[in-house]
Amino acid sequence: MTVPRASGYFRTRYAEDFALLDTRTRKAWAALFAAALLVYPFLAGPLALDLANQVLLGAVGAVALMLLTGYAGQISLGHAGLLAAGAFTTGILFKEFGAPFWVTLPASALVGAALGLIFGLPSLRLRGLYLAVSTLALHFIVIHLGAEYETKRGFSTGILVDPPSIGGWQLYDARAWYFVLLAAAAATVLFSLNLLRSKTGRAWRAIHGREAVAGALGISVHRAKLSAFVVSSMLTAVAGCLFAYFRGFVSVEAFSLFLTIQYVAMVIIGGMGSILGAVLGTVFVILFPYFIEWLMEAAGLAEELAAVVFAVNYSAFGLVMILFLVFEPQGLVGVWRRIQAWFLMWPFKQKPLAGTK
Amino acid sequence: MRDAVTWYAELRGKCAPLLLVERARREPDAVAYRAKHLGLYRERTWREYAGLVARSARGLAALGLGRGERIAIMGDACEEWILCDLGAQSLGAITYGIYPTASAAEVEYQMRDGGAAIFVAENQEYVDKILAYADALPELRWIVVIDDSAMFAYDHPKLRTFAQLYELGDDAGLDELERLARAVDPASGAFIVYTSGTSGNPKGALVTHGAHLAAAANMVLHYPALAERPHRTVAYLPLCHIFGRDIAVTLPLLSRMVPHFGESLEDLPQTLFEVAPTVLFTVPRYLQKFASHVLVGIAGTSAVKRAAYELAVRIGRRHLRAVWDGHAGLGPVYAAARLAVFRPLLNKLGLDGLELLVAGGAPLPPDTMALWQIWGVNTMELYGQTETAGGIITGQRGRFPRPGSVGDAPPGWEVKLAGGEANRGEILVRSPDLFDGYWGNPEATRETKGEDGWLRTGDVGEWVSPPFQGGVAARRPGWFSRRRHHPGGFAATPPQGEGQHHPDGFAATPPQGGGDMPRRELRLVDRVRDFIVTSGGKTLSPSYIENLLRASPYVAEVMVIGHGRKYLTALVEIDFDTVSDWARARNIAYTGFTSLAQNPEVRRLIEDEIARANGALARVEQVKSFRILPKALDPEEEGEPVTPTRKVKRALMIERFRELVESMYDHREERLLAAGAGDVLRAE
Repeated sequence: MTVPRASGYFRTRYAEDFALLDTRTRKAWAALFAAALLVYPFLAGPLALDLANQVLLGAVGAVALMLLTGYAGQISLGHAGLLAAGAFTTGILFKEFGAPFWVTLPASALVGAALGLIFGLPSLRLRGLYLAVSTLALHFIVIHLGAEYETKRGFSTGILVDPPSIGGWQLYDARAWYFVLLAAAAATVLFSLNLLRSKTGRAWRAIHGREAVAGALGISVHRAKLSAFVVSSMLTAVAGCLFAYFRGFVSVEAFSLFLTIQYVAMVIIGGMGSILGAVLGTVFVILFPYFIEWLMEAAGLAEELAAVVFAVNYSAFGLVMILFLVFEPQGLVGVWRRIQAWFLMWPFKQKPLAGTK
Repeated sequence: MRDAVTWYAELRGKCAPLLLVERARREPDAVAYRAKHLGLYRERTWREYAGLVARSARGLAALGLGRGERIAIMGDACEEWILCDLGAQSLGAITYGIYPTASAAEVEYQMRDGGAAIFVAENQEYVDKILAYADALPELRWIVVIDDSAMFAYDHPKLRTFAQLYELGDDAGLDELERLARAVDPASGAFIVYTSGTSGNPKGALVTHGAHLAAAANMVLHYPALAERPHRTVAYLPLCHIFGRDIAVTLPLLSRMVPHFGESLEDLPQTLFEVAPTVLFTVPRYLQKFASHVLVGIAGTSAVKRAAYELAVRIGRRHLRAVWDGHAGLGPVYAAARLAVFRPLLNKLGLDGLELLVAGGAPLPPDTMALWQIWGVNTMELYGQTETAGGIITGQRGRFPRPGSVGDAPPGWEVKLAGGEANRGEILVRSPDLFDGYWGNPEATRETKGEDGWLRTGDVGEWVSPPFQGGVAARRPGWFSRRRHHPGGFAATPPQGEGQHHPDGFAATPPQGGGDMPRRELRLVDRVRDFIVTSGGKTLSPSYIENLLRASPYVAEVMVIGHGRKYLTALVEIDFDTVSDWARARNIAYTGFTSLAQNPEVRRLIEDEIARANGALARVEQVKSFRILPKALDPEEEGEPVTPTRKVKRALMIERFRELVESMYDHREERLLAAGAGDVLRAE
């Protein structure tokens, strides 16, 4: 349920309470934003379009991790492993059985859900660092199995996956991919927003707050934790499936531990406990290396630093993460909310008469 | 606009339930009101409204409520209040409301005086107030509770719930209500309103059905916008007050105003924010309170925002002065200031959609009124009394009237100033539609309602002709305007007869003049008996000075003292909300109201506020000393010197805080003289 920030909105039916967008201003902004997203691929150049596609694909995984870590409060370092699980399920089904898109996608989701269930079990007993280590096991197991498959079947350089075809039409063009990924990201965001205001989502927030209190309130802590793992892993595996088709190539090298770190960074930099934060974090983390490169070029150091470009990138990335943790624990979404509040509260700092009688 | 006289005459022959039936037949599916319940505004159409009233009428009849019997209702403004009220009215019973803030002793007094057969309580809190006397009141037969959520373990035999009342009324409909309403004599009593006496016990003013409708219609004629377009308003003023009843019950029946009831009175800021009323009737206290919160908010905001606000206010002030003088004002520049600053500011309060903001019930300080006008709210003041049966005596009209007057009389109503020695300048009103008389007090009725048909208001006024220089803010440094020194000042002199020139340039026009006189407006001076005559022989109006002081955001209530004294002093009640905000911002430690009131920093703050007001006053009017009350005035407490509407009972206030008052006066002179005289008086 959202709270109108401008005066003159009162609700006469519960249906209005359920609406994701209630005020005219919000609807207008949402429409404008949607229109901008739809027009974007026709205005953007090839690089900008590719970046957008990466962001949209990344957003699916980031939102999935946000549900688990940002809302339910469960740490997971198995994210790259789950992406790999989705990607390999797709790759193997395609390679071995020539399975089409509409089989590989649900199959990936199922594998993800099963892995989520299995690797969510330790969370019932373990917390914090220990849970992180147990989820790390998931990463290595999946990567090991993937590597085994590659070598045993002789695809040691990776599995090639053909673009998905729908009724003879092949999804190949970057612009077409943009719309598919946009749809996937939008569906993930809407699904998550709705889930979060359902009983399940509220239970997740409650166990994040304090398990004992949540339990005392009648919430089944076990069920909430497992459902968080299952839903998050399923979405992540779907992202892995899309990744496989988008890249047209599946290989264990793409799913290093650094990928997990990147997703965790998206969640932290974006701002814990916010879907918007997950999206903003994705934009930031994906664009950041390009920004560093651009900086090096602008400074005329591109030549000298060419050899160490990755090292510069990694260290800059690490530095930014530390800075965020220290100075802006609320992440990008905290910055956004402050900017928004500055305008929304104009000409006040806080709302006058709030909480007075 | 229809002819006033015929409309009044037509309404005089009806009662409110009958108007409701007519409306329900004419526009059955239009929304009559909205009442917030569990977060949702339940919409009631006219048909539903009439149906609910019919059920409550039948329910009350089943409890044995008969013609001419009384029913008392105690609680904040809510849907069920008006349903009980109209239900009882359609049975020919007489309703009266008891102030939600009334103390137990006041409740008992009004229960005995009115002799109610049924007591309707909004919730358990009010049940507790009555239950102690329930068996000692012979006429009380039933106690009906509207919200019975806290009523477990209560098993008094007189208790019934509102839901049970409805069940008794089962499926009564429009036809039944019409039959009942047509049987009601329009000249019989509809309701009693207890006037909050600042001296003595409250008196119950009995108002008849027809007179009330015809009197209230004068508001619709005076503010035709109410009937021209649909309007949203918020009903939050106590319904036991005639002004509250007008807004929640009568005006909606006579105009196109749709009242909205909030979930509870404490949520008023939220209710206003959600409803964003287009018309709001209010009492000055709310406007002062909202305005002071806004100003404290602006004082605490960032430098950029504050600078923007101050620029906009400067523009607003110049614009408003021009408008008051009849010019066009700053047009687009002001429009830009309004759009950029004032609209967002008002939006936070839910008041940016207001077309009309009318204050009544108590004098509105000109500074406060000017401030709201600067913000672009069409603010005006009206003047009415319980005794005018729900109609107004005068009211300002038009767009952005200059503060300082209370406007002119509505069509068909006569207003004049008394010329006699005893009550020179007293405002007298004549209309066929006045109150019927004080309940069980014919003597008081005779005193107020003379043989000649003129109602004596007890207020002193004078006539002013626009463009008059009445607005304090227009000429004086108010507390929100830049401080400038104004030599001379202005003495609020009581009216001294016709034609005399007043110090600041307006002439008191003769009360009764020829037909082609310029439009004249009434200006309120004070209550007849409230003038202060200092020991120096100066007659002063305390309310004028008090309003100037009350304009400070940090002052909740103030009483100026000086009758028979050498100089004026004041007792000040600080506004806990704003002063505690102020204290927090300055790291001043306090534990509660008393410790805050006694803080030397707070004392200095109030001292500055008083010095500022003194700057706008003539020398004799200046407040020389003051004391801060150590506790908040609470009308719900026994023997407190405030009425339920928070009007100060002057005599009681002085009595209660005698030591504080005396400590402000220096008695050395008296002691010296007494010592000089020695014991000569006692020596035989």
